[in-house]
Amino acid sequence: MIKAGQIDKGTALLIKGQPFICVEREFVNPGKGSAFVRLKLKSPSTGQTLRETMKTQDNAEDITVEDRDCQYLYNDGEMFHFMLTETFEQIEIPMTSFPDYQYIMKDGETYRVTFWEHSPLDIQVPAKVIFTVAEAEEAIKGDTVTGATKMVTTETGLTVRVPIFIKQGEKILVNTETKEYLERVNK
Amino acid sequence: MQAIRTWLNERGYLEVSTPTLSPDLIPEPTIQNFSTRLISEFLGEREFYLIPSPEIHMKKIIGEIRRSIYQFSRCFRNSEQVGSLHNPEFTMLEYYTVDCDDESSIAITEELIGTTALPGCPKELLPPFKRMTVNEACSTYGNFDLDHLQDIGKLREKARSLGFPIEDHTESWEATFNRLFLNLVEPRLPQACPLVLCDYPMQIECLAKRKAGTFYRRRWELYAKGVEIANCYDEETDVQVIKDYYRRHYAMLASQRAPLHQVIPDVDEHFADYFGSSYPQSSGVALGFDRLLMLELGLDNLGGVILFPLSDIIL
Repeated sequence: MIKAGQIDKGTALLIKGQPFICVEREFVNPGKGSAFVRLKLKSPSTGQTLRETMKTQDNAEDITVEDRDCQYLYNDGEMFHFMLTETFEQIEIPMTSFPDYQYIMKDGETYRVTFWEHSPLDIQVPAKVIFTVAEAEEAIKGDTVTGATKMVTTETGLTVRVPIFIKQGEKILVNTETKEYLERVNK
Repeated sequence: MQAIRTWLNERGYLEVSTPTLSPDLIPEPTIQNFSTRLISEFLGEREFYLIPSPEIHMKKIIGEIRRSIYQFSRCFRNSEQVGSLHNPEFTMLEYYTVDCDDESSIAITEELIGTTALPGCPKELLPPFKRMTVNEACSTYGNFDLDHLQDIGKLREKARSLGFPIEDHTESWEATFNRLFLNLVEPRLPQACPLVLCDYPMQIECLAKRKAGTFYRRRWELYAKGVEIANCYDEETDVQVIKDYYRRHYAMLASQRAPLHQVIPDVDEHFADYFGSSYPQSSGVALGFDRLLMLELGLDNLGGVILFPLSDIIL
């Protein structure tokens, strides 16, 4: 058991016998009231999301999970296919559980995958990732408005709004949670 | 900010500027504080606190000059989640209107926001404001009626029937109410226009007057796009009520924080003496200026309006 106030993003909980991963956590102090925590929980197997607001002192049933390195191989439109780097065993994770990860994960890269009782629960992607711009519109001549932006597509298929000076083939740092451009990477 | 200043100045409000460092605070058990140490070679050392709101000083000024005042002040709240809607240091617009009650403050705030909104401000932030009492919201969206749940046993029973077993039998009425409100009511509040939620339960203790003959207080909160942006009290002026509030809340705060080694701010035992029969009737609004600006610009993160937000440094 843990206190609801100790639940963080990525904490695995058992709710009515089903494992859930906390994907969002926000502390709330209703005006002049006691401390609460607002949680968004996701079932990795069904994709079901639950929203719970608990007092920070409430008890919740946490489960012991294990993180293992897995190499991302490919997706077939329904499943992400991974290989455990230690055992070379292959595993599948439904894409519907992580709908936007197909545009973030790169083939051949290794990610930490959280397991509970041998089932994969969560894929941990870094908060910031460097992508290569695969497609970019040309800047329109004379378009010198400060703060002008355009859309580009990365090698993974992610579309990102970037400043107008970003060109095809350049590398950009992107926040994987908000999908927002952070900076141009000069290396 | 300039437009708000002009609007308030034209209506006779006096702009004041009060200290950010204070030797004492109003005891508020739900707000964690920042403390710092004043060091004087001649006078020794003393603990000071960063204000969570300028209320303590502004109320003293109203007692002296008996007129409407406002200020933009830097406020500090500790232990809140640093992120899209909270920065430990933020800007509060606080305005007190004398000879005015909580009802009239709604109209003032409506006109203030409507008149000073930035071009392109989303319509969900513009007047007219929708008004609803907390109990109307609970009945409409949560299917429970506070008028019939004043007894803590009944409230717990209702919570159980709505799927919230209360394991802790010492849980207060306020905590159980907030459990129901946050889970069942707040997520369903209408967001198409600003919403004034008024008449808060009397069990949520604060320095807002009781509404005679009811179970509620003369207090409202303004929600815009689901975000709390302002809080208003019809200000309590009864010396004995303020004394009792100070005594009980300081005791509560100290007993909660001492075992956790958290900051226990000093309180001014004579604060209540600033009030009394000659103290004017007034209504005070505390408006989160950064949040207002964020929403007016159509943003969902304070990082877009606060320079060097703490989230960039520590997250």
